[in-house]
Amino acid sequence: MKIAALGIDVGSTTVKMVGIDAAGEIVWHHLEPVDPRVEKQVDSFLNKLKQEINSLNNIPLIATGYGRNLVHQAVKNITEITCHAKGVYHQLGHGGTLIDIGGQDSKVIVIGTKGQVVDFAMNDKCAAGTGRFLENSAARMQVPIEEMGTVALSATEEVAISSTCTVFAESEIISMIAHGVEIEPILMGLHRSLIRRVVAMVRSVGLVPPLLLSGGVVKNPAIRKVIEEETKEQVFLPEHPQLMGAYGAALFALKLMAS
Amino acid sequence: MSNPIPSRKEVIEDIKNRGELVAAVLPIHYSRALLRCFSIYPVEVWGPPKVDVSLGGAHLQPYVCSIVHNALSFLKMGGLNAADFILIPHTCDSLQGLTSVLIDLIKPEQAIIPLYLPRGQREEDIIFLADEFRSLYTRLSELTGKKPSSKDLLAAIKREETSDLLLAKLYKTRQQMGLSNLDFYRLVRSREYLPAEHFSTLAEETLQTSTQPRPGIPIILSGIVPEPMEVLNKIDEMNGQVVADDLACCGRRLYKPGISPEPFRRMAERIISAPPDPTRGNPIEERVKYLVEMAQNSGAQGIIFYEVKFCEPELFDLPNLRNSLKEHGLASIIIEVDINNPLPHQVATRISAFLEMLDS
Repeated sequence: MKIAALGIDVGSTTVKMVGIDAAGEIVWHHLEPVDPRVEKQVDSFLNKLKQEINSLNNIPLIATGYGRNLVHQAVKNITEITCHAKGVYHQLGHGGTLIDIGGQDSKVIVIGTKGQVVDFAMNDKCAAGTGRFLENSAARMQVPIEEMGTVALSATEEVAISSTCTVFAESEIISMIAHGVEIEPILMGLHRSLIRRVVAMVRSVGLVPPLLLSGGVVKNPAIRKVIEEETKEQVFLPEHPQLMGAYGAALFALKLMAS
Repeated sequence: MSNPIPSRKEVIEDIKNRGELVAAVLPIHYSRALLRCFSIYPVEVWGPPKVDVSLGGAHLQPYVCSIVHNALSFLKMGGLNAADFILIPHTCDSLQGLTSVLIDLIKPEQAIIPLYLPRGQREEDIIFLADEFRSLYTRLSELTGKKPSSKDLLAAIKREETSDLLLAKLYKTRQQMGLSNLDFYRLVRSREYLPAEHFSTLAEETLQTSTQPRPGIPIILSGIVPEPMEVLNKIDEMNGQVVADDLACCGRRLYKPGISPEPFRRMAERIISAPPDPTRGNPIEERVKYLVEMAQNSGAQGIIFYEVKFCEPELFDLPNLRNSLKEHGLASIIIEVDINNPLPHQVATRISAFLEMLDS
């Protein structure tokens, strides 16, 4: 394994590190839930990698994500918007409109034909429209987060969740459960509520097909299905949707090294 | 800058120590000259940021912007005690509401003076505004017992015109001045409270200082007021350079000299000739033309619409305005802030991403 550059994405929920070779291919990656002591966590990531490849000398690291400024081991930091666009474009080979639903925010990025960011929008003011919305709801209904999408898709009917606020939605869920509504239709309604917020952001920047998807929430199959229903567009996924920010950062590091 | 810029508080103390009068003036357009010829010194109140809003919150709806919330809270906590008058231009519904709340409910010790502004730039708007200034002259005469002559009025107007011409020169040469974004806006925003003659001296000194131009990704800043001013530091840190602005407290008040020898008309001509402004009802087409030309002349690659949350006149136009600018190849971003909050990390990320986008 020959690593030429590294990228790290310090998100609000997970930390992802990616190592790429000189051709820009992912040859190593590691992912962990985020630790409040980010610097120590990055050290442990680097130590883990060092044990595998012996030396980290002359391997540039670029940081991205919510905690990028805390990564003092990085030679540079770049926003997650630019890095996600870079990573997804490089992996899929074309532009489009990228939806990235993260733990703490969601982003819509229009990627141009040369991989450049053309426009973007972020939902960063409230938890509705983010992974946290689903996490809170899953906890309230005692459904494991990783099973949430499958359970939602098993619903034969769907209830409308009128509240777009995470806190109010939780109250609404309690009320529905108290009225005997089954969990499956509630979960399906929650997914639609979240996705409608995201789709509103897509419309605010203007959808340029194809529609692309990245972020950890992509592991939830109901997300993809509801996005396709709401936008009437087919959704395309990169091979490693959760790693796209770190991958983009690594690609920038590779470019930096070359220059 | 060789001389430090005095603070608003220092300027007010200096005026009061001289036994002169102070008018607290709310945003945006009014005639400084009209107040000055009565020996009243205008000190503008753009919020101020970071005050306890609970005092004003009892009288205002939650969807009123933080500038108006803060102004009322600041008054109630005694922040405007040094002011002898409070002048409130009818800039928007929220400021009109504030005027009513003050006159009908709170009744502060200071006289509340409303100023009605026309919503166009036609000849009849000049006539209307000149009449408004005549009414204001009568009111100020009643309050102060003074009756300045036309000669006094014209002298005050010309002093302000000189100051505004120097302000315009600062804007024109800003890219060669080498000032950081924060230093430039500290300087031009001192026009909000420094007497014209003091500001002119400061501007002349700055214009004579030669420094190296600062590199950076050229952008336009648009909105009401760049508060918290920490945002300007952030733009500096992210290698952005504000090369022009469409800010209500700054660039939208680059008033040209008037033409008429009649003082009230001349004051009105100056305000009516100011750049397009959504609070004065300028159509979107005029704003698009103005911003596109501004970008072409300054080399700006994009626009940051830095908006105070709930500012209805600003936010109403933005979707159509941004679409039109996009058609002209001008990228933009909206940042909404509450002037009471420290600059959120997410805002810094958005600005940084926008600059990266322009740079690519």
